[in-house]
Amino acid sequence: MPAAIGLIEVEGVAGIIVAADAAVKAADVELLGWDSIGGFTTVFFSGSISDVGAALSSGSEAARHVVEHVVAAPVTQPSQACLRFVSYPVQHEVDVRSGALGLIETRGYAAHVYTDDEMVKTAAVDVVAVLTVHNRVVCSLVQGDVGAVREAIARAETRLRDYPHLMSTAVLPQPRPEVLQAFVAPLSGDSNA
Amino acid sequence: MPKAIGVLETRGMASLLSATDAMLKVSDVAVVGRHGIGSGWVTVVIEGSVADVQTAIETGTVEAQRYGELIGAETIARPESRGQNAMPHGSSVPQSAADVRALGIVETQGLAPLIAAADAMVKAAAVELCGWAFIGGALCHAVVRGDVAAVQAAVAAGRRAAEAVGSVYATLVLPQPISGLVSMLPIQPDQQVSARGALGVVETIGYATVVAASDAMVKAADVEIQRLSIGSGGRIAALAVGSLDDVQAAVSAGKAVAQAVGELDGATLLSRPDAMTMSCFAGVVAGVRGEETRQALGLIETRSTVALVRAVDQMLKAADVAYEGSYKVGYFLTASAVRGDVGAVRVAIEAGAQEAAKHGELVTAHVIPQLYGDVELRLPHQ
Repeated sequence: MPAAIGLIEVEGVAGIIVAADAAVKAADVELLGWDSIGGFTTVFFSGSISDVGAALSSGSEAARHVVEHVVAAPVTQPSQACLRFVSYPVQHEVDVRSGALGLIETRGYAAHVYTDDEMVKTAAVDVVAVLTVHNRVVCSLVQGDVGAVREAIARAETRLRDYPHLMSTAVLPQPRPEVLQAFVAPLSGDSNA
Repeated sequence: MPKAIGVLETRGMASLLSATDAMLKVSDVAVVGRHGIGSGWVTVVIEGSVADVQTAIETGTVEAQRYGELIGAETIARPESRGQNAMPHGSSVPQSAADVRALGIVETQGLAPLIAAADAMVKAAAVELCGWAFIGGALCHAVVRGDVAAVQAAVAAGRRAAEAVGSVYATLVLPQPISGLVSMLPIQPDQQVSARGALGVVETIGYATVVAASDAMVKAADVEIQRLSIGSGGRIAALAVGSLDDVQAAVSAGKAVAQAVGELDGATLLSRPDAMTMSCFAGVVAGVRGEETRQALGLIETRSTVALVRAVDQMLKAADVAYEGSYKVGYFLTASAVRGDVGAVRVAIEAGAQEAAKHGELVTAHVIPQLYGDVELRLPHQ
């Protein structure tokens, strides 16, 4: 077992992807995976106690730019059972593409189909996953060059301004591969409602 | 030539089915996908020429609002495959054989009123109970088929019965449903369940509460817990069968314990359930554990994963207990179970509850010194 695990919990999935990326970049921690309960998602990572502490503060600070309420806590000397809560582990064996990652999250599905269509028509991006994490939260993940992703997300934001349920958007210019292996690989094309 | 697609999203299945029926009838479109994202929000995706899809969406929008809440509707004239491939609705909807009989749907908040409605429907008129499903947000619906007049009579009776127990979200009668609609119905294979005695349903908010209520029911009277329902929108129900006297005693004991431990959502008692009702709702679900254990069970339920993980960690460190499993019932609720000697479990749950309260909302912390009878085998956590 690792010396410590770190947990960050927010509403929706966009904030947790941003937090996960910031956390693994901030310190020598291993991303373990994530879990969702009715629209709240939690990311799990492990490492030494001080690494986990550094990753927690960077990750939660990054998440606060995307969502309002962030819960962050370490578990030192964790018991084996703590790892059972990782429903969606990082799939290390899956190949993921490089490139920037764009996130747009709303409540509601119909607007998403429309928005995804707008994004791929606006710039050279692909929708690599659509995560539906309970409680009406739907998050689209697009990938492409940084410029293309920024354009696509900006267009989608404009489009969704008329729609009452936009939650958040974010662009990660260079996400770490394990972040993509955790969030893009397990659920692409899967229904998790 | 790529076809246009249309997307229509509603809250509630009655609304979606009536809209889909109208869309398929008004123009030459086909259903290519459907998807639920929880909280009762359901989506149907149709395909056809641009004009057909536009016409269909216009009609569907009006129709959906008659039976529930319309969330959104869009037409995409020239869908881009890169945008659609990742969408979870991509799976094709199987086409089923045409069934021209009328269709009736009763949609309720929670399972207790739905079971009351289903039983009233099959007793009120010559209709066939096809199945039921949850769509999140505590919304669930049951579907009957038969002659138009029979379905109308059944749905009216079902609504009355459900209103007596809980809250009805929508009812719908489609006199002549279009054949493409069949693929969207929750049609269940027949299960052989003997309709003996009475059926009692106790529905709670939260998993820990329903386990406590189930345990109280089998301890209070000679009943068997057939199953726990799937957790949805925070609600989960325990279904008990036995003689009428026993079930009456069990339901009142279950209600009392549910109120003491957590939150009771509803309860119903069918003194003589129809065979179709039993086969539809009360099929026995075998649990994952094969053998009985005499150890105490401790349950902690929170509205935060962080709080729960911290609590479980604290419990395992505080006393000699083993982690047994977790279960989520929706509405942000997540529960974990530990096992051990009663004393150890009590200490662990106390420590876990304190820890959970520090990091998030603690909903329930409960110890059952010894589970009784078949309850052990019906618990869905693993």
